Amino acid sequence: MTIAESSFRSTGRSRFRRSLSAFMAGLSIAAAIIACVALLSVLVYIVINGIGSISLSTFTEGPVPQGQPGGGLRNGIVGTLILMSIGSVIGLPIGILGGVYQLETNTTFSRTLRFFTDVLNSIPSIVMGLFAYLIVVLPVAAFSPGHAFSAFAGGVALGFLMIPTVMRTTEEILRLVPTTLRDASLALGASRWRTTWSVVLPAARGGIVTGVLLALARIAGETAPLLFTAFGNLDFNVRLDHPIDALPLNIFNYATSPYENLHHLALAGAIILLAIILILSLAARYALRGQTME
Amino acid sequence: MISKLLSRVAIVAASVFILTGHSLGLRAQTLTGSGSTFINPAMTKWVDEYKKATGISVNYQSVGSGAGINNLIDGTTDFGGSDAPMNADEKGRAKGPVIHLPAVIGAVCIAYNVEGVQSGLALTGEDISDIFQGKIKYWDDPRLTKNNGGLRLPHEAIFTVHRSDGSGTTAIVTDYLSKVSPEWKSKVGAGKTVTWPEGGLGGKGNSGVAEVLKQHVNSIGYVELAYAVENKITYSRIASSSGGFIYPSVGSANQAAKASNIPEDMCTMITNASTGYPITGMTWLIVYKTSHQPAELKKFLKWVLTKGQHYTQDLYYASIPENMVTREMKLIDAIQ
Repeated sequence: MTIAESSFRSTGRSRFRRSLSAFMAGLSIAAAIIACVALLSVLVYIVINGIGSISLSTFTEGPVPQGQPGGGLRNGIVGTLILMSIGSVIGLPIGILGGVYQLETNTTFSRTLRFFTDVLNSIPSIVMGLFAYLIVVLPVAAFSPGHAFSAFAGGVALGFLMIPTVMRTTEEILRLVPTTLRDASLALGASRWRTTWSVVLPAARGGIVTGVLLALARIAGETAPLLFTAFGNLDFNVRLDHPIDALPLNIFNYATSPYENLHHLALAGAIILLAIILILSLAARYALRGQTME
Repeated sequence: MISKLLSRVAIVAASVFILTGHSLGLRAQTLTGSGSTFINPAMTKWVDEYKKATGISVNYQSVGSGAGINNLIDGTTDFGGSDAPMNADEKGRAKGPVIHLPAVIGAVCIAYNVEGVQSGLALTGEDISDIFQGKIKYWDDPRLTKNNGGLRLPHEAIFTVHRSDGSGTTAIVTDYLSKVSPEWKSKVGAGKTVTWPEGGLGGKGNSGVAEVLKQHVNSIGYVELAYAVENKITYSRIASSSGGFIYPSVGSANQAAKASNIPEDMCTMITNASTGYPITGMTWLIVYKTSHQPAELKKFLKWVLTKGQHYTQDLYYASIPENMVTREMKLIDAIQ
């Protein structure tokens, strides 16, 4: 028996360490399993209970009065897609450019900005809804009372919710782009913005898209910021200056109604919302296949 | 440079949006309202029928009574729906004088889940007050069996359920209990939220309470009639102040409203009426006396109180009694 072996085996101390290590590993595995089981059971519950309620009319029909059979989620589906688009138009340019700025400069100002981005990230979404209510809905109400809610206001709330997430992920991903790449570009005589635009950003594309998808997934399911901005609409609407329906609003309303068929419609809405997010991520992965930097 | 350019573009885009939105979108959708979730089933039916009859769209969203009142105060909606009248503070913040128009009447059920017991358990106001104060602890308490001659109730602990969120339904029940039990009035009081003396379990919204009741045997709570019927939850008869035990129904709730003394401004609780079902409440539509589009608003409100009332009974609401409708019409006529 060598000295090394004897020091690793059979002494009480090392046995204790090993069992402690095994115990902690067991705890970690258990925690991971609990998380997966919770997630899976939610998914399974929603799919089992809701899949039967999805039919063609779910996509082609608008709401019917409560207490009557039938009805669909067309208004909500179209509304959610429109709201996500407006949110992206507002949130993505600001988020990505802001992320670039925070990485490329290292001044007191940019560090302060980063701190505020983090604070912004932890602000409850309903506060963002109130913000949009204050800067968009109330001023319009002063001009034309009773016609103040709009898809645009909802999009502003969602766009502002996206900004901090996109900003932080963009910055973190750009940080992973090797300095040598940047140096090479600069050494060839490219200006700084050209380097960022044509070398750094493309190299980080996959990661940025992942960040954008996370932000989109976050806003797709938001109910609170839409209550006082997009408001919801019993009519079909695609106009940005009118109130618009959204799937999370439908789910919330229908799940709390007295009627069984609406409860099923709420579950169908949850599945469709999940599907929208899933399709978005798959499409993005497909478009970016073969690209590096996840 | 770039940031200046961007901000200029943003300002131009925003102003273009607001201007076009203002001129184009103004009249396409004529009326907007928000508030009470209780009135929502009736409102969605009205909106649908009103559009079929007149071609005019009304958009109502059930954001809750308090939020509905705030929207009206901010001028973001044309009317609010509320299970409670505006209080002095809310009236002070409003942009002008308002009128309250009762639009539906509803019964709140004392609902329970006890094995082998059907709907119709007879309860007095004192019984309910003492159950929710934890003084009556078991289902086979002599005070409960006394009024239910022959009914075998289990020797099981009573488990109370109430609303966890601020709610007009809670306001109606606690207002009733304050009227029938001086002890409840002094110890607990009435309001949208109260401190429940016995504790018990909370449920969010009518649907939340209905869910708790369904899942826990030997529980008792309160939900609007529509939720009890649709969720097949058993509910009790309540002692009337004029004697006898009365089932909650659209008929008995309508009777209670008829028997109530409604003041000039229509703001009163109609619980514990001399006849009819005692735990009954109203939902008001609230509008400004001076509206920016009075014609459209008056037309819709009048329709709700006349033709609209035919649709509500299938949804478990009682219709507004004739004499009240006549008085409300006068109030509507005064809108400018």
